[in-house]
Amino acid sequence: MRMSFRLLKGSPMRIMTPLALSVALLAAGARPAPAQLKVVTSTTDLWDIARQVGGTRATVKHISEGYQDPHFVEAKPSFVLDLQKADAFAYVGLQLEVGWAPVLVSGARNQKISQGAPGDVDVSRAIPLLDIPSGNVDRSQGDVHPLGNPHYWLDPANGRRIAELFRDRFSELDPAGASIYATNARGFEAKLDAAAKEWAPLLAKIKGKPVVAWHTSWRYFAEYTGMNLVGFMEPKPGVPPSPSHLAGLILTMQRTGAKVIIMEPWYDHKTADVVASKTGATVLMLAPSVGAGPGTEDYIAMLRNAVTQVARVFP
Amino acid sequence: MTMRRVQVLAAILAGAILAPGRMGAQAPDSARTDSTVRARARADSAAKADSIALMRELEKGVAASPSGGSGTPRGQVPATGSTNPRLLPDVSVVGDLMYDLSPKGSTQENGSRLGVREIEVAFQAAVDPYFRGDVFLGFNDLEKVSIEQAFLTATALPWHLEARLGRQLLPFGKQNTTHRHDLHTFEYPWVIQRFLGAEGGKGTGGSLSKIFSPFGFYQEVIVTVNDRIAEPVEGLVPDTPTNQSLAGLGYTARLRNYLDLTQNANLEIAASVATSQVAQPVTTSEEFNAVNARQTLVGVDVTYRWRPLQQGLYRSFILQGEYLRQINEQNPDLPPGSVTYLGPSRGYNGGYLFARYQVGRRSFIGARGDMVQDPEADGSTLAAGSGYYEFFPSEFSKLVAGMERVSPKGQSAYTRIILQATFALGPHKPHPF
Repeated sequence: MRMSFRLLKGSPMRIMTPLALSVALLAAGARPAPAQLKVVTSTTDLWDIARQVGGTRATVKHISEGYQDPHFVEAKPSFVLDLQKADAFAYVGLQLEVGWAPVLVSGARNQKISQGAPGDVDVSRAIPLLDIPSGNVDRSQGDVHPLGNPHYWLDPANGRRIAELFRDRFSELDPAGASIYATNARGFEAKLDAAAKEWAPLLAKIKGKPVVAWHTSWRYFAEYTGMNLVGFMEPKPGVPPSPSHLAGLILTMQRTGAKVIIMEPWYDHKTADVVASKTGATVLMLAPSVGAGPGTEDYIAMLRNAVTQVARVFP
Repeated sequence: MTMRRVQVLAAILAGAILAPGRMGAQAPDSARTDSTVRARARADSAAKADSIALMRELEKGVAASPSGGSGTPRGQVPATGSTNPRLLPDVSVVGDLMYDLSPKGSTQENGSRLGVREIEVAFQAAVDPYFRGDVFLGFNDLEKVSIEQAFLTATALPWHLEARLGRQLLPFGKQNTTHRHDLHTFEYPWVIQRFLGAEGGKGTGGSLSKIFSPFGFYQEVIVTVNDRIAEPVEGLVPDTPTNQSLAGLGYTARLRNYLDLTQNANLEIAASVATSQVAQPVTTSEEFNAVNARQTLVGVDVTYRWRPLQQGLYRSFILQGEYLRQINEQNPDLPPGSVTYLGPSRGYNGGYLFARYQVGRRSFIGARGDMVQDPEADGSTLAAGSGYYEFFPSEFSKLVAGMERVSPKGQSAYTRIILQATFALGPHKPHPF
């Protein structure tokens, strides 16, 4: 402040010189870096695919962590700050985030991501879905998703669809970067194809094998791998196992020869251990999302980890 | 934890009972009788209407559909049409049942032992591209039907502003912004009941809020103008209508500061102020029995939350406290004549401390300590301590059992034993953090 005052009191030349220098410096440095597309995703899986498609043109943040049940995320105000600045909010949809995302989106007061805006990216709209109820749905059926099973990212074919959706939507929001997004999406798909070829022999070991899962989240993975889901630890989606259900499940496993129980890291493994001890099954704590455990730092690694772990159980 | 252990033990027990007789894992198939096979089939989880049965049913539906039957991929492309072609609002219902088993009789407002405290019906929808509408109607035996909340929210304001018009819970203090049936306790803390009303402070008017983060963490300012800040005392008729001048309206302001301490823990510190003119009693006159006097409330609230993300289904902890002070004008202007002011001659303080710990996936225990200088008892201290056990069969139902010991100064202490059941029907919207 004092310096400015002295400058103002000096000769016009003394004032103009630093001003001119500043303007020149600004002009030289004013070659603006490409505007960053600000993307927020609800889950880490969408986050990883979005950052691979967005590349250097996008900054991508996620709300839930990979080791967190995406049904139950606290709508913390700090997430509102991220959404307030977002150009796009990509979410799984099908009511997976119904318990928390609406509060965050309305709290953000950001027209760019409000319902129906270009930045409102409901990824499920690009996915062929499983488990869409056709009749009446009510909560006596547990935490059933009336629009379909939302855990679709566990099928790599859907990973490809997600990348293509991001390519198109990012290009719409940032037309100048369209070619970059297209290139990045192709690169991602090529990596996914290469990885799928690599683990294809493992799929042959899994195909047709009877498996029990904790939650219906492994439906798409089962469709992809060909493993046969013969039961669930949960008596109904989202409902914790009851003793009578577990007793029945033990019988089912013995009848079908199921020797694997797949579960997410956020469930209590003690209950699964009890069932495993009665059936001789192996409990596999599988990472259902990016960052849910070691070796799952990106989408492809997460899928590779799941396929490898399941295949390892079957000789 | 205990619940889970019980479940695990019960599973072992059930398995042990069923295994030797029915499983017969070591016996050859040929040795089994038909009845054993039938019993097994009944007990088999796949025969029940459980997750796997539901999945098989859905698979059948897909196979029967034209796309499924033609050998196309089993997945279905989501419908491209609207899921709400009639543009109906979301309708939801919350039931709040109270069973008062207190040893010295019911402590409920209507004196009932077994009662429906309230049924709340909500209608929520976007009005147009610029507004969202929320209407909450309350049904109960005392008030019959009441408009609990009804507000229009402007969703398209610039600078990330949000404005609301209508009736809403006053954004004053922490628990007052939560619907009563969503509290972790049966009722609002005593200080809120005494300073703002048994059903919390509500007002009809407008509010404006702004979110900002100049220091890198979440901050929000909410200001409101309302017809009042607290329930008016029944039977008081002031010499002039309280809202005759703009100074008679209620004004509130609240500043929220939210910080993530770690990924698992966060802290919210907020300060609130509210001011309004309220009717206070004077010596009885034929025309009026009250005058308007200024009442100001100031409060601070602190909430600490801990929830380890990976164990978030099973473990969490909340510690919350609020302190409120009610400042009363002691020498209001009195109308001419021999009128004596009978309103409060001092300010009152109050607060509470509440803690809640999650012991299992569906189970929580909590406790609250209350202290308030009761304006209804000339400022004598009311102290209370309560303990709660909450069980959530699902996200949409809650059972609470609790006991409270209430000690009003100068009166005999009493104990309350209350059971509560709440349930939600329909797409009940998530509540703010």
